[in-house]
Amino acid sequence: MNFRQTLTHGFWRDLPPFRLVLGLCPALAVTAAAENGLGMGLAVTFVLIFSNMFISLLRRVIPDKVRIASFIVVIATLVVLVELVMKAYFFPLSQQLGIYIPLIVVNCIILGRAEAFASRNPVHLSMADGLSVGLGFTMSLTLVGSIREILGAGTWFGLAVFSEGFEAFSFMVKAPGAFLCLGLMLGLMNAWSRRRGEIFIQT
Amino acid sequence: MLREIARLVLVLGTICSLSAASLAYVRTSLADRIEMQEDFYVRGPALERLFQRPAQELLAEKLTVPVGEEAYPVFYLLEAGEVTGLAVEAAGKGGYGGNIVIMIGLDPRNDSVLGVEIVSHSETPGLGAKVELQGFRQQWTGLTLDCPVALTGDGGRIDAISGATYSSEAMVDGTNQVVLLLRNHREEILTLIGQRSTDPSGGES
Repeated sequence: MNFRQTLTHGFWRDLPPFRLVLGLCPALAVTAAAENGLGMGLAVTFVLIFSNMFISLLRRVIPDKVRIASFIVVIATLVVLVELVMKAYFFPLSQQLGIYIPLIVVNCIILGRAEAFASRNPVHLSMADGLSVGLGFTMSLTLVGSIREILGAGTWFGLAVFSEGFEAFSFMVKAPGAFLCLGLMLGLMNAWSRRRGEIFIQT
Repeated sequence: MLREIARLVLVLGTICSLSAASLAYVRTSLADRIEMQEDFYVRGPALERLFQRPAQELLAEKLTVPVGEEAYPVFYLLEAGEVTGLAVEAAGKGGYGGNIVIMIGLDPRNDSVLGVEIVSHSETPGLGAKVELQGFRQQWTGLTLDCPVALTGDGGRIDAISGATYSSEAMVDGTNQVVLLLRNHREEILTLIGQRSTDPSGGES
């Protein structure tokens, strides 16, 4: 992959969570509101860019046998950093996301990009990859969050979008609504790709 | 072979130490800021409900009373030079998901409790998290803190939440810490408040 491809592959070709089908846990759990989806996406983006950077820098130093352990230490450090900064500057958001911030450590997207990309590519490509996949994840989560919040609560980023008479479809902000929304979007995307004759991972 | 093992240990050890050092640095440098945010978003609203006053006014009046290894944040309300309200925060030990941090508001003139608020907890939703409900917390209102409280099962007056005995016990533990603090350190707290109110600079923060 050249630089331009690396920078854009996360927006459609490898769009998480739909194309990679990784990172489904946060995509289901925190997307009850658009703002939470955006916050989670940006936190993951930050961790991805810098974990890819450090892992790519260290790729010749880290012995193969302890590479997963080393990757996890790097990722966990960045996640705790994000958690602390969020508590210090975005306290209400950190309360909303709660346990899902520390759980970014076990988000498969991050370890997946470290193992599949950053550990075998130079620094600038790895950081571009992190940015691309991270922003793709942010877009997806914000989109899922927007759909669920608009239908389920009648608001978007906390602002009312419907007139008074709208009866909110509260099923959508609960857990089953997350599965329904994500499943329908995944199905639509696959149908669209099939029509265009694209080859995608989950054949 | 031995060299290879040494290399594994060295690399992983170095990465871990660097990571620990950088996190320790960030944690200490952000600690004050996080404390401020917690005051503003968590303790502020709790104090507002306890004393029916704007939070800013009450948050400015913060003391920390160290007792042994613990440090209890204390907030107070002054009216015409007399302390008419005290709010003491304590971490109740033994909760199912860790400590339950509570704040007890009381009138120091007769030690009667105005109310109890939950500052933070990590109890199970639907079970232990019911300690937040008004129905459970109102058992504290009107209690007199001159002797320790206990659950009804232990011969006391507090009805535990069914299915959440640990959480209820943690609440009682927190309350009893406040009882002890008042018993042993009342004069010290009132002196500190006195010093603070006569010192226009506001004393130490």
